[in-house]
Amino acid sequence: MPSTTTTGIETDVAARAIGATKFYGSGDTEVRALDGVTAEFERGHFSAIMGPSGSGKSTLMHCLAGLDTLTDGRVFIGDTDLSTLSERNLTLLRRDKIGFVFQAFNLVPTLTALENITLPMDLAGRDPDQEWLDRVIDAVGLADRTSHRPSELSGGQQQRVAVARALASNPEIIFADEPTGNLDSTTGAEILDFMRDAVDNLGQTIVMVTHDPVAASHADRAVFLVDGKIVDEMMEPTAEMVLDEMKLLSRR
Amino acid sequence: MLRLTFRNLGANKARFAMTTFAVVLGVGFVVASFVLSDGLRSSFGDLSDEITAGTDLQVRPVSEFGEPVPLDETLVDEIAAIDGIRLAVGFVEGDESAMQPVKSDGTTINSVGPPQLTFSWVDDEGLGAFALIEGSAPDETAEFSMDVDAATSNGFVVGSTYDLITPIGVVEDATLTGTTRFGSANDTLGAVLMHVSLDEAQRLFGVPGTVDEIAIRLDTDTDAAAVVAEISQVIPTYGVEIVDQATLNAEQKADFNQGVDIVGNVLLGFAIVSLFVSIFIIYNTFSIILGQRVREMGLLRALGADTRQIRRTVLGEALAVGLIASLIGLLAGVGIAQGLIALFDALGASLPDSPIIVSLRTIVLALTLGIGVTLVSALAPARAAASVAPMAALRDGATLGHQSSRRRLVVGSTLLSIGIAVGGFGLISPPSSTLNVVLVLGFAAAAVFLGVTLVSPVIAEPVSRGLGWPVAKGMGTAGRLARENASRNPRRTATTGAALMIGLSLVSTVLIVGESVKSRLGELLESSVQADYLIIDDSDAGVTPKLAADLADTGQFAAVTGFRYDEVRLAGFVTDMIAADLSSMGLLLSLDLQSGTLPAADVTDVIVLHTDKAEDMGVGVGDTVTVEFASGDAAFLKVAATYDDDTILDSPIVPVQVFDDAGAAAVDQWVAASLADGVSAAAAQPLIDQIQQRYPQVSIDSAAEFQERFEASIDSALTVVNALLALAIVIALIGIANTLALSVHERTRELGLLRAVGMTRRQVRRMVRWEAALVALFGALLGVAVGLLFGWGVVSALPADFAGSLNVPFLRITLLVAVAAAAGLVAAWLPARRAGRLNVLDAISHT
Ligand SMILES: Nc1ncnc2c1ncn2[C@@H]1O[C@H](COP(=O)(O)OP(=O)(O)OP(=O)(O)O)[C@@H](O)[C@H]1O
Ligand SMILES: [Mg+2]
Repeated sequence: MPSTTTTGIETDVAARAIGATKFYGSGDTEVRALDGVTAEFERGHFSAIMGPSGSGKSTLMHCLAGLDTLTDGRVFIGDTDLSTLSERNLTLLRRDKIGFVFQAFNLVPTLTALENITLPMDLAGRDPDQEWLDRVIDAVGLADRTSHRPSELSGGQQQRVAVARALASNPEIIFADEPTGNLDSTTGAEILDFMRDAVDNLGQTIVMVTHDPVAASHADRAVFLVDGKIVDEMMEPTAEMVLDEMKLLSRR
Repeated sequence: MLRLTFRNLGANKARFAMTTFAVVLGVGFVVASFVLSDGLRSSFGDLSDEITAGTDLQVRPVSEFGEPVPLDETLVDEIAAIDGIRLAVGFVEGDESAMQPVKSDGTTINSVGPPQLTFSWVDDEGLGAFALIEGSAPDETAEFSMDVDAATSNGFVVGSTYDLITPIGVVEDATLTGTTRFGSANDTLGAVLMHVSLDEAQRLFGVPGTVDEIAIRLDTDTDAAAVVAEISQVIPTYGVEIVDQATLNAEQKADFNQGVDIVGNVLLGFAIVSLFVSIFIIYNTFSIILGQRVREMGLLRALGADTRQIRRTVLGEALAVGLIASLIGLLAGVGIAQGLIALFDALGASLPDSPIIVSLRTIVLALTLGIGVTLVSALAPARAAASVAPMAALRDGATLGHQSSRRRLVVGSTLLSIGIAVGGFGLISPPSSTLNVVLVLGFAAAAVFLGVTLVSPVIAEPVSRGLGWPVAKGMGTAGRLARENASRNPRRTATTGAALMIGLSLVSTVLIVGESVKSRLGELLESSVQADYLIIDDSDAGVTPKLAADLADTGQFAAVTGFRYDEVRLAGFVTDMIAADLSSMGLLLSLDLQSGTLPAADVTDVIVLHTDKAEDMGVGVGDTVTVEFASGDAAFLKVAATYDDDTILDSPIVPVQVFDDAGAAAVDQWVAASLADGVSAAAAQPLIDQIQQRYPQVSIDSAAEFQERFEASIDSALTVVNALLALAIVIALIGIANTLALSVHERTRELGLLRAVGMTRRQVRRMVRWEAALVALFGALLGVAVGLLFGWGVVSALPADFAGSLNVPFLRITLLVAVAAAAGLVAAWLPARRAGRLNVLDAISHT
């Protein structure tokens, strides 16, 4: 089990960044990808991280998910301070506590859909909770496709498998980086509906990076990032509201 | 386009490095074999010049067949008396290891090492090629000298006394009178060179009154031709010849070169096998690297490059890799040659200091082979790359086109059939020269290897799945992924495995043939030998007939006989002949008599023939045949019997007296003895021990002990061959490591994903290593399958009394396969570590 450092405050926060700072390079070429980001992502909520290209969205997500380390500041998953964890414990944390959906190349080509879905649990040598698994597979509508290989699935189906994988281990939190970026709008909307569904009916927590206002409108809350800083935040966003905000931000 | 070639080389440095290494090893050993043999040939040439420099003429016995009969000693004085001859000296030389000195610790000098040779001393450095370094020359009975290096390394001290094991028994307390030097630097090749006086040599080696050769030095300004004419007057007209210095020198060189050629050719053979293995590795590297560059190729095509230009770019890369590898191989070869000399020296064969000769031929050959092999291997991948469609630039996940599997199958099975047919032909009716046999069988083997490689992708998937089943079951997700990875790219698995297949098939062929020979010997001893004891000499010197006589004298034996071998002319054909005590044969060996009876001991004008021989000659029991001997004598012998069991003896057999009368071979090659009724082996043991003590140079074995000794000697021969084949296996393992490294690179994103969703570094490493083990296992099993085919072919082609039915050493082969799989596991250590260390984020965003 990963060692934990508690914040002392018991809240219903699934992930938290405190003064998160990330620099790339040094001197003249220094890039401040994250510049003192402090944010909380509540349990049972669907949050969107928005912002123009290069604003640090992916960097924030990677740092929150234990894929990357901060230059300064701290991030927590639940009560666990990620900066205290060793490489191995970070890996175990990702395996057991976090679900991932990437924009592309989400699946291992040699494994079937079902094997891809249960991969994190298989890696842990843990048996999946069959009832939960059936529910998840049912929810993403893949019951008849479980023995197919990724190459035999459409792009949308592949993303659904990826979402199912993220859900299957019933993690503390799911991170999705532009999960619909490669899909047409109808297929994308389907995926977003599944994610919404997972939060509402399965009690999951999702943090999604996107620059698509329509995608953001599926979330409970949107956080706006510009030049590595949080500049605004919006509850129950609609596509129009987000679009206006984006226009505003890009003019700044 | 040339610039592109160099860019690509630069970008793929690490990946080409391993390929280069495979070629470097192959070329290196080719170069080493030439550098070594050229160097040795040159220094042996110098040595020959030195040895023969002092001898102007030599008189020696000759014969058309068989052992020449030694010269009469009185000839020496007659020749010395001729005008114009300053010095004429008679020599006697003992057989190899005929005389063995006993060290002060009671042991003899290792008898399986370099030979121990004894000569009669000649007190003239020019004629004898030896000079005294310390003490004096041996002069009396029980005196000897030894070359200075052998004396030093074996702890012999001038003035001390040592026992000498000789054909006439142990000579106790012989004095080491001095140490000597051979030539100018005592380049003995590790041999132990000893001298005794001429009289002593004649006594010890049982040749009283004769000499083996007469060396002659002429006076200055003498007409050599006139002297030769004079000598011709003195020597017998039959069976003696006069040779001059040039002939002697040429013979000496040819003699040395024969040994050098054997070493050189054996090395060359293994080097070529290694180069052949490299082909698979180079092919794989180019295929994989080009496969990863399909989009780049497509882009180039879209921008207007034609297929020829693409092909040239790729072949240009191959050329550069081949050139660099060959040049490094050339340097490495010189190093390997020096290493081998050091190794030989460490093993006790002190080779003469050889110059490093890198001849033009060596350079040309190294470059041709290295570049040729690389180009040939890159040909198919280059063609595939050139046929990439411009559209590939736009598609994600475009792959290198390959020739269709149908065509592969057809070409592969055709090659396989040709290989088997040519191999079968080569084995059933082998060409007359060894070189042609090697060429024909080498071609057949290469065709079989290529054929199997082309066909094997068909089975690579199901087989590696099957093999991977336990891994997938026992190793969790890492094991399952390892199994999937090993079977996801059958062509890659097949070619990578094929490289290992070659080494393993050769090793298992050797093991199978060895086992079959061993088991056949067991059967033979069982069915055809009734003798209780078999006695052989560990050296080539043979067994003195005194031993058989001593055994018989004890009265504890029902039958004892030695077996002597010589060449004779029988009914106009030169043939081997055996002399033995025919009357006791029935108790020792089963001859399976077909007609007649074995003669009594006192009948000496008879011969026993194998039925085939009798049939060939058209003779039967009671007919008389004529036998001519090397001495010129002839004997008229009556056929007493014909026999059919040719497992042990397959030549005409005559009573010993026939050989004695004709001056033919006087030493037994081996002795067989059966105990008298009522004498148990235990009761005879003290007696056997006593005889053993008297003749320490022989081994007295029961049939079971004899079999053990024989099997041990086969095993040690197998070990040497397999040690040399290890080179090919090492190269194949490098190939596995290389393929895995390339695969890891290719699957970077997949690995990144796996790491992101929680695969630990250890699991990643395990996955890569087990994939390698599965590929190795696949190659090893293919190798064993091909080895079974080869082994079956060789065993069927061998004469029935040498290797009967196919016998597979299952335990050893299983062990071999397990070791190969384990080696694959180890070979993948580096790529596995690399895979484990991949930066997760970089890997995810890797394109
Ligand atoms: N490995 C890296 N080395 C140097 N700079 C980097 C690296 N990764 C990201 N950056 C820089 O950090 C900043 C934030 O990058 P990030 O990928 O987080 O942006 P993003 O908001 O996800 O953009 P996009 O919407 O285009 O994906 C950018 O300026 C980027 O150039
Ligand atoms: Mg991004």
